Amino acid sequence: MTQLPYAIDAETPLSPSELGVLRAQYEKEGEMVGVQTKFNYAWGLVKSNVRSEQHLGVMLLSEIFRTSPERRRECLYYLALGNYKLGNYGEARRYNDLLIEKEPANLQASNLRTLIDDKVAKEGLMGVAIVSGVAVAAGIIGGVLLRNLGRKR
Amino acid sequence: MASDDTLPTLKVLLIGPSGAGKSALLTRYCDDEFDPETSAATIGIDFKIKVLNVRGKPYRLTLFDTAGQERFRTLSTSFYRGAHGVLLVYDISTRASFLSMERWFNEAEANTVEGVALYLVGAKLDKADAREVTTEEGQALAEAHGAKFCEASAKTRENVRLAFVDIVDRIVQTPGLIQNARLGRAAGAVALGNGGSSGSGGGDGYGAYLPGGCSC
Repeated sequence: MTQLPYAIDAETPLSPSELGVLRAQYEKEGEMVGVQTKFNYAWGLVKSNVRSEQHLGVMLLSEIFRTSPERRRECLYYLALGNYKLGNYGEARRYNDLLIEKEPANLQASNLRTLIDDKVAKEGLMGVAIVSGVAVAAGIIGGVLLRNLGRKR
Repeated sequence: MASDDTLPTLKVLLIGPSGAGKSALLTRYCDDEFDPETSAATIGIDFKIKVLNVRGKPYRLTLFDTAGQERFRTLSTSFYRGAHGVLLVYDISTRASFLSMERWFNEAEANTVEGVALYLVGAKLDKADAREVTTEEGQALAEAHGAKFCEASAKTRENVRLAFVDIVDRIVQTPGLIQNARLGRAAGAVALGNGGSSGSGGGDGYGAYLPGGCSC
């Protein structure tokens, strides 16, 4: 049975009111926002199905990654997850590989890698299909044009 | 496996302090694997699915493995939504992990529906030589919370299956539990606010409807 693993955080968005609680806390703390509050909000945003929220989540996580070294492992995981959801598979793999490098036995990270690789493979195939479709079309059009050109001469 | 989706789905959560052995129990139960080298703390939440038969009927068991680390506790209330059962896991060779269980019971009881199946597991039974918690103590704590109890070892497999099969059996034997959990309680959102790191008083959760709305 070749079933894909699950990245449960990617598939279970919070309810709007739950995310609202995390956002309200974040906004209340303002400039002096604590790292836990900021991480909580970023986590809620990354779980969202709304692209702009995922974007903001990834941005906040990058900030936490820079400022709070003790939070790096979870930031790497959620940065990978967030980029995976946004379709930035290269970035996703880069962050995830950094985590795997530090923790080779981390099953969550190796599961996420499987998911990323699967998406890349699928979209890669689609890309090949599109490119070859374009090439075939160009070939036909080119052929027709050349033939017409030949006829005119 | 499309056919699995039509099976009745049960949700069981594993909770307990960091390092108690929640992920090891789950990996042993679902994949029959045990890696003494894998000790990375769970990040946020992990998830596995297993189909199992109880009393001749198949169920799709969804297992949520939560991070025990304090930094994820403020988020944990959102994990409980729709849970039918909770496995509370401590390490029999670490006294402190057992002493924290009262708090874990409180969290589980506060965030789940009435009649939820609770099951206390004393993990790392293979370390019985270095035990810091007696079987009787575990038994007594479980009874005080109306939970079932066993000691188990992911390393030797002892009692691992028993714990999961027992909790599922208890869930399906509790009338109305599956329906109640689906209807749920809207506790999650409020509790998320109350559990905030700033320790500010309750009520925050209800103030979520911001005037002017936020379109960020």
